[in-house]
Amino acid sequence: MNATAYILLGILLIASGTGAAVLRNPVHSGLSAVVAFVTLGMLHMALGAQFIGFVQLLVYIGAVAILAVFAILLTRPEASHLPCLRPLRRAVAGAVTAGLVLAALLIAIFRSPSLNREPGPVAEAPVAEIGELLMTTHLLPLQTIGVLLTAALIGAVLFASTNHS
Amino acid sequence: MTALSGTIPVFASLEGAPIALKAWILGMLENMGMPEPFLMLVSIQLSILGFFSVFLLLFVLASWFERKILARIQNRRGPNRVGPAGLLQPIADGIKMLTKEDIVPVAADKVLHACAPVLIILPAFLAMAILPYGKNMTPVELEVGILLFFAVSTATELAVFMAGWASLNKFSMLGAMRAVAQILSYELPLILAATSVVMITGSLSLTAMVEAQGGYLLGILPNWHVFTPWGFAAFAMFFISALAESNRTPFDLPEGESELVAGHMTEYSGFKYALFFISEYLGLYVVCGFAVALFLGGWQAPLPFLTFIPSWIWFFAKILCLVFVAMWIRGTFPRVRVDHLMNFAWKFVIPLGVMVLVSAAVWHLAGRGPLGWILSLPPLLIPYWLMARAYGRNYDAGGRVYRFAE
Amino acid sequence: MITLPAILALSAALFATGLGIALIRRNAILIFIGIELMFGAGVLNFVAFWRFSPDPEALTGILFAMFTIAIAAAEISVGLALVILIYRHHQTPELDAANRLRG
Repeated sequence: MNATAYILLGILLIASGTGAAVLRNPVHSGLSAVVAFVTLGMLHMALGAQFIGFVQLLVYIGAVAILAVFAILLTRPEASHLPCLRPLRRAVAGAVTAGLVLAALLIAIFRSPSLNREPGPVAEAPVAEIGELLMTTHLLPLQTIGVLLTAALIGAVLFASTNHS
Repeated sequence: MTALSGTIPVFASLEGAPIALKAWILGMLENMGMPEPFLMLVSIQLSILGFFSVFLLLFVLASWFERKILARIQNRRGPNRVGPAGLLQPIADGIKMLTKEDIVPVAADKVLHACAPVLIILPAFLAMAILPYGKNMTPVELEVGILLFFAVSTATELAVFMAGWASLNKFSMLGAMRAVAQILSYELPLILAATSVVMITGSLSLTAMVEAQGGYLLGILPNWHVFTPWGFAAFAMFFISALAESNRTPFDLPEGESELVAGHMTEYSGFKYALFFISEYLGLYVVCGFAVALFLGGWQAPLPFLTFIPSWIWFFAKILCLVFVAMWIRGTFPRVRVDHLMNFAWKFVIPLGVMVLVSAAVWHLAGRGPLGWILSLPPLLIPYWLMARAYGRNYDAGGRVYRFAE
Repeated sequence: MITLPAILALSAALFATGLGIALIRRNAILIFIGIELMFGAGVLNFVAFWRFSPDPEALTGILFAMFTIAIAAAEISVGLALVILIYRHHQTPELDAANRLRG
């Protein structure tokens, strides 16, 4: 990945993430987070993982973003006239916690000597090979994910269905 | 391109004509001493310009064509005042659109209101870049082409949502909610149908999919996926879902003009409205292009002795045929009801889509031959029959009630 | 050329942003979006470590990233269903309102 792409995408990523945190309207926050997800997908592509980049776009724009925005609408945020942030003390405490976590992570990252390594020769992730590995070495995780997704599907339908409440 | 001596040489030289034209322009620029990065840029720009202009031309044609066909179906004449047979009508419409006042509602969310029309036209253009227009004529050769199509086509629903929400109008909001629910539901069968082709081809690249459909069975029947049991079912699913995805009749509930004014487009005027209009047609072309590439053999000729006609002519001819079918459906089918629409997707098309995958697997394992034909039909026909029976048993249309007409 | 710590720092910043959203917003759906951003930071780490790994041919990072995305999707589908349920009970999407079990 070249430096220009890194800087541009990095700025966009952090700006849209911050936007999601501070924008007053929940719908704006959600859409700002969508921009962050798209940027994340582009970062994956810039790193050479084209497949993961497109999967990220597909899952996050196609499913997660739409679900989230739809849920925001269903819960009618404009009907409640409460402020968007939590009570001041808790919000400040939350922001400070996030800042502390960031500082700790950054210190750990930049002081770790084992991270200073060269990237390998141009790495590629051919789709055929990913599929091959999914069906051989990583078959068990794949099956587990399948069970998990099925359980999530059934669970979501059970929770959201109106009959039992 | 000077060969006018006979029919066949003309066609033969036409085959590579777009590529040759591009190479000629690039060669001329290189002779003039353009630097290398600039040449690359020009090369990309030329490809973009190529499909931009072709598709915008097709859009102009389609808006005229659609009105003419609908008029024919409804026993009218259609546009016939501007130009010969009304051919210049789209230009008049375009001028009208451009000169109209751009109205933004006072209470609207200004930024999102302005972003939505731009965002809605983006996916169609992005997806155009990976369509295989002809032999060696894919603008962007992507290993994961079909994934890009699904990734960007879902962005449409976000744009529709933005348009509906930002307008702050109940019709817009209702239309957008309907559109999002509908597009989300029909995305699944679309992906399932395409997955069966991915299974058989063993690749996510559209070029590979088209190439896998080359050749002819018994020297006459083309090897297209639509001529296999699973392929036919998958194609039908894909086309129905494609119509629903592009909000075409009979699935045009989000903008059903008799119920919701114009759905999410209610509060748009002038060129912003025109962008929604353009994106609808471009979306239809793109999704038909994908249907052609996945199931109808892409740029392959339908009969062996017709291969002298350039591949890209076949591709566009097939797209136009599908678009014509879409218009025909629009002229003849009434709009479906919301609950019917959802039930149809979730209770009928999606289960059948899973069975299409089973059928495709059986077809592959049985050797893709006559045995495959026999064995891959039951996984499709039995669930189809069972579901039709199960849903049909309790269905009572209730007879027609004339409330006002008697 | 960008080094590994630079990408990890970006991902750490994204993680902190997600954590911040989850801690300071009232709306439960936005809290879920914050959690998704944290998942995204994790995925970015996997891809970055794959890119800089001594053996990229094994594709372990890519596969891990894929599984993580799948888990994130499963998580948000159930989570949003829960939020809808909470909304039905309390008529508000705010998590602070769901405090009936508080002592």
